Amino acid sequence: METHVRLAVVAGLCLTPLAPLSLRLAQLQVMQHQRIDKEVINEVVHTTAVAADRADIVDRRGRLLARSVPFLSCFVERPLPPDTAALAACLGRILAMPPAEVLRRLQGRERRLYVKEDVSAQQAAALAETKLKDKKLISYGVGVELRHRRFYPRGDLALNVLGKVGTEQNGLSGVELTFDSRLRGRARRLRYLRDGLGRIIYRDAEVRPETTQPLALSLDRDSQFHAEEVLHEAAAQFHAKGGMIVVLDPATSEVLAMAALPSDRLKNPIIQDPYEPGSTFKLIAAAAALEESLVDENQTFFCENGSYDIAPGVRIHDHEPAGLLTLQGILERSSNIGISKVVERVGARRFYSYSRAFGFDIKTGIDLPGETAGEMKPFAHLTRVVLAASSYGYGIGASALQVANAYSAIANGGTLYEPSILAVSRRPQPVRRVVSDATARTLTRMLESVVERGTGMSGRIPGYRVAGKTGTARKLDPRTGAYSTSSYMASFVGFLPASRPQWAILVVIDEPKGQYYGAQVAAPVFAKLGRRLLAMAGVPPDQPTVLAGRP
Amino acid sequence: MDEHPAATRPRPRRRGAGKLVAAGLFLTTVVWQHVEATRLGYQVERSRKQISTLRCAQGALQTELEDLLSPASLSAQARGRLGMVLGSPASLRRLDDDTMTAQARPGLLRRLLSRTRRAWQENKTAGLSTPRAAA
Repeated sequence: METHVRLAVVAGLCLTPLAPLSLRLAQLQVMQHQRIDKEVINEVVHTTAVAADRADIVDRRGRLLARSVPFLSCFVERPLPPDTAALAACLGRILAMPPAEVLRRLQGRERRLYVKEDVSAQQAAALAETKLKDKKLISYGVGVELRHRRFYPRGDLALNVLGKVGTEQNGLSGVELTFDSRLRGRARRLRYLRDGLGRIIYRDAEVRPETTQPLALSLDRDSQFHAEEVLHEAAAQFHAKGGMIVVLDPATSEVLAMAALPSDRLKNPIIQDPYEPGSTFKLIAAAAALEESLVDENQTFFCENGSYDIAPGVRIHDHEPAGLLTLQGILERSSNIGISKVVERVGARRFYSYSRAFGFDIKTGIDLPGETAGEMKPFAHLTRVVLAASSYGYGIGASALQVANAYSAIANGGTLYEPSILAVSRRPQPVRRVVSDATARTLTRMLESVVERGTGMSGRIPGYRVAGKTGTARKLDPRTGAYSTSSYMASFVGFLPASRPQWAILVVIDEPKGQYYGAQVAAPVFAKLGRRLLAMAGVPPDQPTVLAGRP
Repeated sequence: MDEHPAATRPRPRRRGAGKLVAAGLFLTTVVWQHVEATRLGYQVERSRKQISTLRCAQGALQTELEDLLSPASLSAQARGRLGMVLGSPASLRRLDDDTMTAQARPGLLRRLLSRTRRAWQENKTAGLSTPRAAA
């Protein structure tokens, strides 16, 4: 036999036992490849969802109002190791915490117990090193996790509007709740596998999560700050229970500032709590009377010298006696009797219709949760007494935003806009025209005279034309169900400069002590805020200044 | 003349060795690629942790910066440390046309031009006399 034949035989004999192995290999690698690969991936490869960073919230000029900030947090997962005290001592040493405090935090019932937030990079590195060295003690369920917390610069700016997020970075109230899905962004899934030591080996290419664009609100951070500051000062000065300030841009009804006391991230009384607006509501009857030509500007009404029996046993009082007054005089003196007589001419149906047209008893549609529509009796239930009371703002409920928006409509020439908390990038859409331009101009002139000569004189700002109306309403005593003689809502609402309105402002002070008239309590707050806004925006005075020394 | 048979016979040993070397190289490349992928996987994870740590540090610094830039903080610093006061509309003045004309001060360029012109005219009149003056 030749040599090469003999070699072939020997090779054949040696390789024959490998044949079944090769066949099996082919079966596993080729025939069952997909199934086995899937099984292995399921066992070794893990998938985790990486949430996109919650988007920033910024003001109308792009300045920060809220941001999600990452931080490292040390956790221990249940079941805990038997020697918890030793674990606490070790963690305490690394994290610079008293072991007793660590032990206290390990008492919780949750599966994952957080021991410390804001773990530094050095502490995280030390923890990882200790885990490698002392596996018995510390490797059991101890780790460092990247978490996020919502950060609000200086904490309390616009907190009633911004709202709150939960521990899982989900919106719970305010803007954070309304725009939760927009702010959250889309989560991304990552695949990884772990080696024998539990270390992560990445499978997917690292791609930054999709960046969520900041949410731009209509708020102006500076205006908001000043509104909150003057409100805090007023509340402290009058020992008030609370208060509200709303600042709107009359041209679009964008909310520029929304300050409320008491400060609560879960509640925004400006849109959620109806209140009786008092004399600030006289605007509606006056607007209806003028628009429908039911009252002439020069026509006078007898104001019964301050006391008027409108029905048997029902008497209306004015805060000061007056005789004959025009509609302008009625607003200047804030005469309840006078406006009652005006509204009698207007009639229940028209008054109700105008109230609705100005946005009362209807939700404004602002993008904030829990908005109230307010409360108003339908015109069929507006008896003579109820109609009279409604004309000066009793027996109805309105949110502060509704009142401010109604005055905003007069400021812009008679068009009601939907209030917006988002910066309006497109042309704002009007809801409806409530009064003609001529009526709006007449009302503006009347409201200016309220500030120049009437009850709102403390709302004056020298050099500027200001239009506004005071309001003082007794609060209902929940114990007796009757109007209280000691609790009041003092308010002032107006716009400035009346020549070219840039701001519509409502100030409400809840239960001021000592003084309680809107003219005494709320109007000075309006003027204070108005002065700041005018100076900040550099709005020149309406009248030329006479310089000293000029011939 | 016929060639020697050994010169035309194929050389199977050399061809087989070449294939073996190629297979070996291919296998080595595959193994190296796998090992390298794993090593890079570890490295990516280390880098990710580093990024997280740095992002935390950056977040803390941003927090501090935004706190300092907040209106409340700026206002406190301006009032407390620098003794500044809030602006008032009283500091804004609207001037009517007459006042503006009476009070307006010419700009730097205009002042320089008028000064130069005046000096030039003075020099001119110092040496020369107008025909009317001469007359």
